[in-house]
Amino acid sequence: MAMDSYYSIAYLALFLPLVIVVYTLFPKKGRWAVLLGSSLIFFWCISGKLVIYLLASIVSIHYGGIWIALLGTHKDERIRLAAETQGGPTKKELRKIYQKKQMAVTAGIALFNVGLLLFLKYTPFFMGNINRLLAALKIPAALEIPAMAVPIGISFYALQAVSYIMDVYWGKIPAQGNICRLALYMCFFPRLIEGPICRFKEMDEQLFNGERIHFDNLVRGSQRIVFGMMKKLVVADRLNLFIKNVYENPGQYDGGVIAMGAVLYTCQLYMDFSGTMDIVLGTGEIFGIQLPENFRQPFFSKSISQFWQRWHITLGTWFKDYIFYPVSMLRPMKKLTSFGRKHVGNYYGPLLSGGCALFCVWLCNGLWHGSGWNYIFFGMYHFALIFGAQIFEPAAAKICKVLHIPRKSVAWGTVRIVRTAALVCVGEMFFRAHGLKAGLGMFVNMVTNFTFASVKDGSLFQIGMDKKDFLIVAVAVLIVFINSILKEKSIDPREWLGKRGLPVRWGLCYGLILFVIIFGAYGVGYVPLDPIYAGF
Amino acid sequence: MKQGIKKAVGSLFFSAGLIALLVVLSMIFIPKNNMKAFGMEDVPANGILGEKADTIDVVIVGDSESYSSFSPMQMWEQQGFTSYVCGTPGQYLYQSETFLEKAFENQKPSVVVLETNAIYRKMSPSAAVMNTVENMFSIFRYHDRWKSMGSDDFLKPVNYTWTDDMKGYRYNNAVDQAPTKEYMIPTDQAAPIEALNEEYVKNMAEFCRENGVAFLLVSTPSTVNWNYSRHNGIEALAKEYNIPYIDMNLMRQEIPIDWTKDTRDQGDHLNHSGAVKVSSWFGKFVKEKFSLKDRRQDSSYSQWNDALGRYKKTVGEV
Repeated sequence: MAMDSYYSIAYLALFLPLVIVVYTLFPKKGRWAVLLGSSLIFFWCISGKLVIYLLASIVSIHYGGIWIALLGTHKDERIRLAAETQGGPTKKELRKIYQKKQMAVTAGIALFNVGLLLFLKYTPFFMGNINRLLAALKIPAALEIPAMAVPIGISFYALQAVSYIMDVYWGKIPAQGNICRLALYMCFFPRLIEGPICRFKEMDEQLFNGERIHFDNLVRGSQRIVFGMMKKLVVADRLNLFIKNVYENPGQYDGGVIAMGAVLYTCQLYMDFSGTMDIVLGTGEIFGIQLPENFRQPFFSKSISQFWQRWHITLGTWFKDYIFYPVSMLRPMKKLTSFGRKHVGNYYGPLLSGGCALFCVWLCNGLWHGSGWNYIFFGMYHFALIFGAQIFEPAAAKICKVLHIPRKSVAWGTVRIVRTAALVCVGEMFFRAHGLKAGLGMFVNMVTNFTFASVKDGSLFQIGMDKKDFLIVAVAVLIVFINSILKEKSIDPREWLGKRGLPVRWGLCYGLILFVIIFGAYGVGYVPLDPIYAGF
Repeated sequence: MKQGIKKAVGSLFFSAGLIALLVVLSMIFIPKNNMKAFGMEDVPANGILGEKADTIDVVIVGDSESYSSFSPMQMWEQQGFTSYVCGTPGQYLYQSETFLEKAFENQKPSVVVLETNAIYRKMSPSAAVMNTVENMFSIFRYHDRWKSMGSDDFLKPVNYTWTDDMKGYRYNNAVDQAPTKEYMIPTDQAAPIEALNEEYVKNMAEFCRENGVAFLLVSTPSTVNWNYSRHNGIEALAKEYNIPYIDMNLMRQEIPIDWTKDTRDQGDHLNHSGAVKVSSWFGKFVKEKFSLKDRRQDSSYSQWNDALGRYKKTVGEV
């Protein structure tokens, strides 16, 4: 049975209920095995024999972690012996020797996992670029670009593998001796396709505990799953009718339609990804497992930097912890900071090394999303916006002071929110466009040929979506908006719902379920949108 | 314990309420007539729903091969029995089964024909499950009608009134000759049939048996879709479940298809002249084999004679 996404009938109506039943029937001690077995079956159903890559990653970090731990024990032993005897290497020397060995193992394991990801995902991109270069140099040779089969979720579990091995190296967590526990951490089925990117420390106990399924968790988890389905089926899949047309033939439309396409694609991406996260976290909740949130109302952000602390949070924190900080801590970077402080002051000084680390983060972020120049451009675009904001911050503060703009006022905050959203939409337009050239063409068209003609003459409603489609999308977006406002005010909508009387509680639940069934874009005439982040 | 029972009972009531809502919504969303303007899907095939009760002798299900090969009106004109093609493009067997069940709600045919090309169409089990859910709650199939619904959908009962003059047959007189004529090269190999597909054929055969109706497997001529290995596969299946099987691809004498003239798309489907040849032989065969009545003089079938006039105009015989 085709189980290619969390929205498939096979997953929602068969797989998940079956896992819940089997999990409940198993004694507490063996429930982790149910989760592991079902996760491997889930992986097999989607990627089949490519499970070998996943197993290779699991084995690599398992033995890598043990190796690092053994080196640590060996080091302690030798230090103890060194204290008792004389003439051998000193404690400091021993620490250095073993740290180097541990670092080599860590780097080897991390490179193996990242290397697999690069090999499987980027080989066609690199070879394509080599072919373009050869053609540009008029060299009559071309590499045959292989069709690579990529295992599902490799972009997510590879980063988890790296975080595990580095955390063991840094001593944040002890090496896990039980390979099954590591395997479950790597392939827990709800987060397999699109994350969130978890840390071993926060997941291991929860996954292994075998917490029994509580009725309240089942209800709350199911509510979140239905809410996620609304985002995906009502909004993301319906918007696809319009977005596909605009991005397939951008030359046919004026700047107004292109701008609408940029806004709606951003909306689609958010609804698709955050909807899937609702299903993922809802599923986790059913099993009493709290997976990390990936979104925190990103469209309330007042700056791009803030946006990325609220959008795909687990990817952002991964880059911060495993790229930004390590790069910032490199000796040349420290020297650069000292140099900067001396010559350009305490504000701009640290920005030099910070900028280098930030550049690495955004280059990797762009590449992580896909193998194409438009993705690299997407990364550089956000790097420029964040780094530019840091550079111009003192100047901006001065300008606001001179113009008497109260920076903490609601009005100024709203302006910043709208500005941030607009900048995000432009970035996403490049992200979705068919290549960098197409993205640039769309941007130029949007700026130089912007009109409201399509709204006035009604042609906007003939690009795959009619007025009723727009209306239903607007209603669904409004529901999500209200939910977001409640969350911004630290009110948990589901907790609020749980405290209402039965008619309100059931009425809203029925309303949401029927809203999805009636207004979902599924069945004849609709092609479901493939989960966007599953492709990254 | 008390809390547990309370929660279990609450869940049961919640589920029952949801099912009740789905039933009510299904009644509202189901098209109130079998025309496109009312939101009906696959209108030509669903035209059978508008036929008078117990007036159809032969029901044919299958994919595009079925509605390209069988002309019920020609069989009516030549043999005097009634038939209807509930064929749809790319029909899956779960859809064939649904059409069959729907047809039987209002008709008591003597013969059911399954065109065999659909047996080799791979089905997604998820889609088959979804089809069952749609059959139980039509809100899932017709939910998209929210855009065009009016007060009648809430107030009026279902009343199917539309009938198709072509009786499900889709007329096409284009000619695009087939490059290959020799496509039935004997072999001992048998093309394997998916287990799920086999299950559906078995179920349809069982359904017909229970209703006392003859069930036939028929392979219509097609150089693109048919070959000897598929013939062997279906023959084995037919033998296993004791279903009569006719392969028209091996009946060159009886059905002399000229692949330079009788196909509209290089041998994939027959055109009208090909359908005339198939229907001529099949009409005679099925009438004799199952002793079907000649109803041409029966006044209660006068609508069929009226439709025949319009059919002839369409196919250019008038």
